[in-house]
Amino acid sequence: MSNPSIVEQLDQAIEQMLAAPDAGMQSGAGLDELLEVAAELRDLPRDNFRTRLRLELEWEAAGRTVSANASHPASASLAKAGSTSAPGLLSLFGKALSGYPVRRSNMALSFALHVLTVLAMGAGLVMVKSMTPQIDTHPYVTVRLEPYAFPIGSAPHHGGGSGGAAEKTPASTGVAPKATREQLTPPVMLRNMQPKIVAEASVIAPELKLPNTKQIGDPLSLLALPSNGPGVGSGIGGNYGTGVGSRGNGPGRGNGSGGGCCDSVYVPGNGVSMPRAIYSPEPEFSEEARKLKFQGDVILLGIIGADGLPRNLTVVRTLGMGLDEKALEAVRTWRFDPARKDGHPVAVQMNIIVNFRLY
Amino acid sequence: MDAVANLAGLANLNQERRLVEAAQSDPSRFAELYESNFHRVYAFVARRVSSRDEAQDVTAEVFHEALRNIGRFQWRGVPFAAWLLRIAANALADRWQRAARTPEVPADDARTENEAGQTEGADVERRAMLFQLVDRLPTDQRLVIMRRFVEQKSIREIAQELGRSEGAVKQLQFRALETLRGQVRNNHE
Repeated sequence: MSNPSIVEQLDQAIEQMLAAPDAGMQSGAGLDELLEVAAELRDLPRDNFRTRLRLELEWEAAGRTVSANASHPASASLAKAGSTSAPGLLSLFGKALSGYPVRRSNMALSFALHVLTVLAMGAGLVMVKSMTPQIDTHPYVTVRLEPYAFPIGSAPHHGGGSGGAAEKTPASTGVAPKATREQLTPPVMLRNMQPKIVAEASVIAPELKLPNTKQIGDPLSLLALPSNGPGVGSGIGGNYGTGVGSRGNGPGRGNGSGGGCCDSVYVPGNGVSMPRAIYSPEPEFSEEARKLKFQGDVILLGIIGADGLPRNLTVVRTLGMGLDEKALEAVRTWRFDPARKDGHPVAVQMNIIVNFRLY
Repeated sequence: MDAVANLAGLANLNQERRLVEAAQSDPSRFAELYESNFHRVYAFVARRVSSRDEAQDVTAEVFHEALRNIGRFQWRGVPFAAWLLRIAANALADRWQRAARTPEVPADDARTENEAGQTEGADVERRAMLFQLVDRLPTDQRLVIMRRFVEQKSIREIAQELGRSEGAVKQLQFRALETLRGQVRNNHE
């Protein structure tokens, strides 16, 4: 530790020297040399000056375009007055008040970028204002099954027919008679060969393409011998009616009842359960409809077979915009637990309503 | 300038020549010349102006001018510092001319040109060395020197800033000055 008195004397002499730089130095105790050093230290540059100047020079050396004002004598006085004047404006013109040289090219680039940013923001605001608000953007599709409602005045086309002449042998095989909307003459195997009015035998059923043969009969029968079957009612078959079929009844064709064709396709209700979808991927929204925010229902009509597969799907209410196709495409892949009647799976005719909505 | 003669022996001319040639081909290498001559130029200028701000301004002007004209510098076997000091002298002359005032020249400049030049050269080197030595002081001592002599703060202010007693700050000041005196003396001897 230094002698406290010397330390104090030195500090007092320095204090006097700093307070009155022009006054002669008063020293004692052999402090002259120390005070001489101290006097020269009054001219020391500021702490950051050397580093700042080096930085300026490096910038100038790198770009060769640093403003000459950075080293201009006026820059120091500007720097001193920087806090009271407009430093930002001066920097813009290359005065470099912050101690860093300013390149005019950088300032120009910065200015251009700021202008572009402001323009982009303005354009964005204009676009936002001119756009209509988007209410529904999220596509949402629901599908529900409804029993097919037959049009007023029509009957389900699940008819069937039968008949017979109370013969002991089953109905003989053959093609079903011509299908017509009105039956004049029921099909019979053994007919009146000399009728007063000739009318071709027919059944009430949709037209079908059948093998070209003259032998009419029950297409499902294996018996080749001519027979009207054990049923009653003048048709061909084993039940009641004027149609063709082993178990049906009525003037149609097949094992249903009433006019019509084919095997029974039921409508849910009256002992027929609804089919239940067990695999039902959701239909997709078409891109076109989504963009135009188009929404609504597509109604499909189809038969859910006893095997659980959808068949004969047709669009009965179209929506357009590709949504009909999307609905068909999806529902065709569905699989059902089939409808049941008396515990047995049966085919049912269903409306499948696909609801396309945007939320 | 005759002061250059005193500087010649102090510089490693060959190394300096390589630095100059490097800076002439690649201006980014000018930083090395700057570092080795900063204190010399500043000390030269500081003796001739009245304020630190003015000394810093002129010093900056000298180095910017030197960087711009480094390509035109021709090596003639004299230290690069001589060229820098000539630029500094011209800058000071311009400044005085603009201000239309008498240069603030120390009293010893009234002597003969040769004598003054030799004395001044030694003085510039001594000051430059002193300023360089300040940079090499221990951190706390350097901090006290900078606060005391550059910012001209009182011992109490420095003590508050550093969180130390006034006595401790005075001790740091004393030790720093002793260190500097000793190193300057050793370098001169």
